Amino acid sequence: MLSAIAGLQPRQLAAQVLNFALVLSTAFMLWKGLSVATDSSSPIVVVLSGSMEPAFQRGDLLFLWNRGAETQVGEVVVYNVRGKDIPIVHRVIRKFGGGSAPLQLLTKGDNNAADDTELYARGQNFLDREKDVVGSVLGYVPFVGYVTILLSEYPWLKTAMLGFMALTVVLQRE
Amino acid sequence: MAETKISPYSLPDLKNTTDDALGNYLRGIGFKQDNTKTDVKLVVGYTAVAIAGATFVADYKLGWEATKGWTAVAVAAYAILNGFFTYWLWFVEKGLVFEGSKDGKRVSIQSKTNKHDPTYYLDVTTSSSSSTPSTRQIKTPFTTWFTADGYFVAKPFQQWIASSIEAVGDVDQKSALRDERDELAAPGPQTKLTASASLGETQDVAETTSKSSKKAKKRG
Repeated sequence: MLSAIAGLQPRQLAAQVLNFALVLSTAFMLWKGLSVATDSSSPIVVVLSGSMEPAFQRGDLLFLWNRGAETQVGEVVVYNVRGKDIPIVHRVIRKFGGGSAPLQLLTKGDNNAADDTELYARGQNFLDREKDVVGSVLGYVPFVGYVTILLSEYPWLKTAMLGFMALTVVLQRE
Repeated sequence: MAETKISPYSLPDLKNTTDDALGNYLRGIGFKQDNTKTDVKLVVGYTAVAIAGATFVADYKLGWEATKGWTAVAVAAYAILNGFFTYWLWFVEKGLVFEGSKDGKRVSIQSKTNKHDPTYYLDVTTSSSSSTPSTRQIKTPFTTWFTADGYFVAKPFQQWIASSIEAVGDVDQKSALRDERDELAAPGPQTKLTASASLGETQDVAETTSKSSKKAKKRG
């Protein structure tokens, strides 16, 4: 199999490598294109906890939209806690400011007993719409995101999958 | 490469091996390859990949907020380049295997196969300084130059190419089969003679059958 690759003309080899590189770069640029369109750094997220049941279950795939910053009470937003890089999906239950003043939000998980002030960073009592929120939930696909939960909980699955993919790409022509 | 064993039931294997052999053969008999189309494809493709790579590095180092504007530009540029790349692949190259020239005669060959049909199709475009480009499709089953256990045999393949493409047959005359070359040649005075002599239909039929039986003998 390797002899078949060694026997290629330099240009054929370059074209073969290019095919593989284009698959990766196209996937990445599609993701970035979606980021640009939604104005969100992470336009698709997976629900990791059951704190929003029964609206969202663990493993649901959420599509976010971050244009039009006038978030309303009742909207479900995804935010990052300052200093931590874990996105949290919760519902807005109070809002302050807005218009010319910076918009401030208080959130709560539907399935949680108390609001999120406990979850926020030390000394933080509200979310800043501009800085903390990644986007509002526009739509969702149930269960599909479970694959990524499995991959992050069982890291050997990731290794196995990458190895398998690399092998097929190397051994296949066309 | 040609000596490698392949699976004779895999159409991509048959096509790729034959494509490679075709390029090697034409380069071997002295055709000078013209790689312009491949080079355009490679430059456009690698530029697109470089843009994506730069976007990735910038995003990794500076974060989303700082790179937002440039990311939008990069995405647009990538989409345009990738669109051009796809257009080039589908409508310009169209399965180009070899493009080159020798002694002022230019040959451009595109290959293709159809699903579940073990036949090799070639679109051959020939041109020279004096004539306008003309395109012709030729086809032959892969079994002509592959053994049952998957070995490529160069001789029948080269004979087929040399016999059915005039520009190649002129260069590699010992591979070109005489009777097939005659079929290729433009109607000459001899054909005119038979036509003007208004031979009987029976004679005509007899002639074609003898010709085909001769060919069959040679093939066998």
